[in-house]
Amino acid sequence: MADIKKHDTPTVDELKSGPWPSFVDDIYSYAEKHQKQSCFDLMGQLELSYKHKETHWKHGGIVGVFGYGGGVIGRYSDQQEKFPAIWAFHTIRVNQPASKWYHTSLLRKLCEMWDHRGSGLFNFHGSTGDAVLLGTVTEQLEPVFFDLTHQFNMDLGGSGSNLRTPSCCVGKARCEWSCLDTQAICYDLTMTYQDELHRPAFPYKFKFKISGCPNDCVAAIARADCSIIGTWIDDIQIDQEAVRAYVGGELKPNAGAHSDRDWGPFDIQKEVIDLCPTQCMYWDEKEKKLYINNKECNRCMHCINVMPEALRPGKETGATILMGAKAPILEGAQLSTVIVPFMRMEPPYDTLKELIDKVWDFWMENGKNRERVGEIMQRVGLNRFITDILGLKPIPQHVREPRSNPYVFWKEEEVPGGWERDLAEFRKRHPA
Amino acid sequence: MAMDKEELKRKIMEFMEKKSGAKSKVYLKDMQRAIPDASPRDIKKAANELVQEGKLEYFSTGSTVMYGIPGKGQPVEQKG
Ligand code: HEM
Ligand code: HEM
Ligand code: SF4
Ligand code: SF4
Repeated sequence: MADIKKHDTPTVDELKSGPWPSFVDDIYSYAEKHQKQSCFDLMGQLELSYKHKETHWKHGGIVGVFGYGGGVIGRYSDQQEKFPAIWAFHTIRVNQPASKWYHTSLLRKLCEMWDHRGSGLFNFHGSTGDAVLLGTVTEQLEPVFFDLTHQFNMDLGGSGSNLRTPSCCVGKARCEWSCLDTQAICYDLTMTYQDELHRPAFPYKFKFKISGCPNDCVAAIARADCSIIGTWIDDIQIDQEAVRAYVGGELKPNAGAHSDRDWGPFDIQKEVIDLCPTQCMYWDEKEKKLYINNKECNRCMHCINVMPEALRPGKETGATILMGAKAPILEGAQLSTVIVPFMRMEPPYDTLKELIDKVWDFWMENGKNRERVGEIMQRVGLNRFITDILGLKPIPQHVREPRSNPYVFWKEEEVPGGWERDLAEFRKRHPA
Repeated sequence: MAMDKEELKRKIMEFMEKKSGAKSKVYLKDMQRAIPDASPRDIKKAANELVQEGKLEYFSTGSTVMYGIPGKGQPVEQKG
């Protein structure tokens, strides 16, 4: 084996002196143990970047293994003579199992494979959901892919202008609040849309995220072009006895999550009733009984989170389908918008898939390069998107709040009797 | 009327050859714009098959994917 070349990294080493566990310690101790040239070179290049105050990484190039248009994110050093072991330092996205359940034996095997074929640095998990293998050279991509598919029964995830790896919360596997079998939905979408996941089809990326309830532990509403969030249409289940136990102090609010400090005795009025965003709850002090006007409840989960033994989501469950979340690239960040307030979610999820196909057809035909679904929704307007593209009826749930919704514009022929207005007069008051 | 797949592949290659002079990498979108009488999905399928056949290759800008002709313009990667 060739001699290992270590670099002087005084600036990088300063990061070890802080109060936090440092990646510098971690990477160096791993590098020493395994005599990993790529890790030493990684630190060497980082030192150089600190000195020059600019990056020495180049983006782009390779996208996958043979036949795949995604899953590998190409990264190259622009200092290949100094740091030959990281001339390429590609990231490989590995499609995680739904809800990220692994057997430890698989994790051990993955680590062994990566010690051997890559930098040994692993990220469990990226914000995409994937398990992220950090840093290897081009010649190792096919062997890694072979090991993943033939030994571990795993596959690459999505990157680039593809469907990105769908991800979901822990769902019914561990969470009593889950209104959906999030893992089944995630797996089904992943398998149904393999072609879209591995072969670039879109103007830009597209993400599905599935949360079992409105607590939205995978932040679907903020991060997914199509957010699937569990909800219910019947009444919140109430165990009045348990409510009284909370009020009487026998049960700890929030399952004891805030018990590191003394917040005083639990006050149901202050901590639950007054914080209900729709003011739809009532605690009868004399009767010692909790009432909920379920028609007004917007499923914010607050009361259920505070009194988990007493309250539960209803029994008639399904999902709210929202679309259009994204981080700022072309336009600013935005959250997903409600498209279907309630959809039953039984396999094979045909209603959902029909909706998705409509969105994709329209977006593939009309989307500009790097335009996310949320941006095209804004461009065409929510009203056209809902009626003309999805073929749905506009309903009150599409309106965020009265008179504030920025999307809904009536056409004259849609309003009985139409209207007349004097544009010149209007412009006097509202300059264009 | 759906275009025959081989016909579509031929049109894509024609477009790519023409393009490879000025701008060697193109978005899927550009192909779809250049061949408006085929459905975007069919173009996607045909372009991906051309990659399998080795006639086209993928190229990434970092976050989006483009297509190029192997050996023309900027190579997918350069060592050293
Ligand atoms: C001071 C050191 C570092 C800090 C504080 C830090 C912090 C973070 C945080 C907070 C995230 C987002 C996690 C998530 O929600 O997914 C992240 C993601 C990531 N980090 Fe680091 N990191 C550090 C060093 C590194 C190093 C040294 C590497 C590579 C060698 C690295 C590679 C990545 C990658 C690739 C992701 C994104 C993965 C993905 O979302 O797909 N980080 N980091
Ligand atoms: C000034 C320097 C950089 C800028 C402005 C930058 C910008 C970005 C942007 C905008 C994205 C999101 C792309 C998308 O998914 O649409 C991204 C993703 C990513 N970048 Fe960079 N980047 C820089 C440096 C680096 C370096 C030095 C590395 C690694 C050596 C790196 C690794 C990654 C990875 C792994 C992702 C994918 C993360 C994920 O979504 O899971 N970047 N970067
Ligand atoms: S999103 Fe809801 S169902 Fe899923 S893990 Fe979080 S609390 Fe549980
Ligand atoms: S879930 Fe939220 S809106 Fe519904 S009753 Fe509880 S606190 Fe009120």
